[in-house]
Amino acid sequence: MISLTSPVRTRAHRWPAGAKLAALAVATFVLFLVQDLLVLAVALGMTLGAYALPGGRFFRAGIVRLKVLWPFLAILGVWHIATATYAEGAEIILRLLTTVGLANLVTMTTALSEMITVIRWLATPLRRIGLNSRAMELAIALVIRILPKLIDNGQRLSDAWRARSPRRPGWRVVVPFTLLALDDADHLAEALRARGGFLEHTEN
Amino acid sequence: MTSQIEIQDLDFAVEGKQILHKINLSLAERRVGVVGRNGSGKSTLARLVSGLVAPTAGTVQVNGHNLAKDRRAALSEVGILFQNPEHQIIFPTVGEEIAFGLEQQGLGKAEAEGKMREVLTQFGLAHWHEAYVATLSQGQKHLVTLMSVVAMQPKLLVLDEPFAGLDIPTKAQLNRYLRLYHGSLLHITHDPTDLESYDTLVWIDQGRIQLAGPQGQVMGAYLEAMHSEGETDDLAHLTG
Repeated sequence: MISLTSPVRTRAHRWPAGAKLAALAVATFVLFLVQDLLVLAVALGMTLGAYALPGGRFFRAGIVRLKVLWPFLAILGVWHIATATYAEGAEIILRLLTTVGLANLVTMTTALSEMITVIRWLATPLRRIGLNSRAMELAIALVIRILPKLIDNGQRLSDAWRARSPRRPGWRVVVPFTLLALDDADHLAEALRARGGFLEHTEN
Repeated sequence: MTSQIEIQDLDFAVEGKQILHKINLSLAERRVGVVGRNGSGKSTLARLVSGLVAPTAGTVQVNGHNLAKDRRAALSEVGILFQNPEHQIIFPTVGEEIAFGLEQQGLGKAEAEGKMREVLTQFGLAHWHEAYVATLSQGQKHLVTLMSVVAMQPKLLVLDEPFAGLDIPTKAQLNRYLRLYHGSLLHITHDPTDLESYDTLVWIDQGRIQLAGPQGQVMGAYLEAMHSEGETDDLAHLTG
């Protein structure tokens, strides 16, 4: 199931999803204009502070989710050390951490159904010209829904591999992984079909 | 409220492999059980009755509707519980999962939310509203799928071995929750104890109807055949 969820209920859960997403867009835009390292460091500090506000459990859950960024940060670090462009490197790393941190914060405090409502609102012009936007709304929701499931599948496959092999699983789990993903897609499609699929309803 | 299931000359094949052969059934009882061995075609029959797939030949009608074609009617005619709740749950929280089906039926967001809370209260689980599905036990996930389907108030509920693999207390509790649903049931299972209070049974074997009729008659013949097949070694046979 979805992994970018919050372990605790926060005050931000009650804020409208549209406002949170708009604020995220503005913040990200501003962060890309800022080049001052000090300002960027303060922004990262404030983001981490926001993670700490709902308490220790939320903070730890948030940090675990930011840790997936480390390979990117490592590559960036190696590159900027190798090219001796330390300031640029620090700038990019701070910006990346802050923007992803903020985006995760929004995802963690927003219900999937509220995200769909925002997407539906954004797609209003498409419906005006007669397109079925329900498919798009659900598709985006399903991508968010299935990603953690895929990670889970990978984990199970590598467990099954390691149960019978002393070596680490390599490229040979790619094909079964793909087949499992297709299988999951089938199940999800059927679950969706059982409850009406992409039926478009008139506006209420 | 009983549902009428009419199946005529139904064939179903996948990629040339025939799964169901010339099925004819007319069912109007409130509780119908379908029994048969693994791979006999029971689940396929469940998916056909629910309209999730269309027959290769022949017709399936529930209360006069062709549900494979008319998906909008299907939402109020039939609900289905899959064996694996993971395959059924789409949303991360219980409330969203239940409200989704209601919105699909055309209810507005606020209405769906109200109805969702009503259903949770009816099940005595109002506090589950914001619970994350990922944190629930297997039995609790089953209960979420049951509530999501019951909320949509379908006239017929198809159960595709939903309680297989659950421990005895969990199963008993789910069966008790199932009584909160008042429509017709088509219960697919290989476990006779699931069907003790059922009126009519259909026994499917190798894609064909072996026997259909009153519970006592069919169950006796089914159990006898199952025990005698247990003595043989057809597990070693490869088909297809």
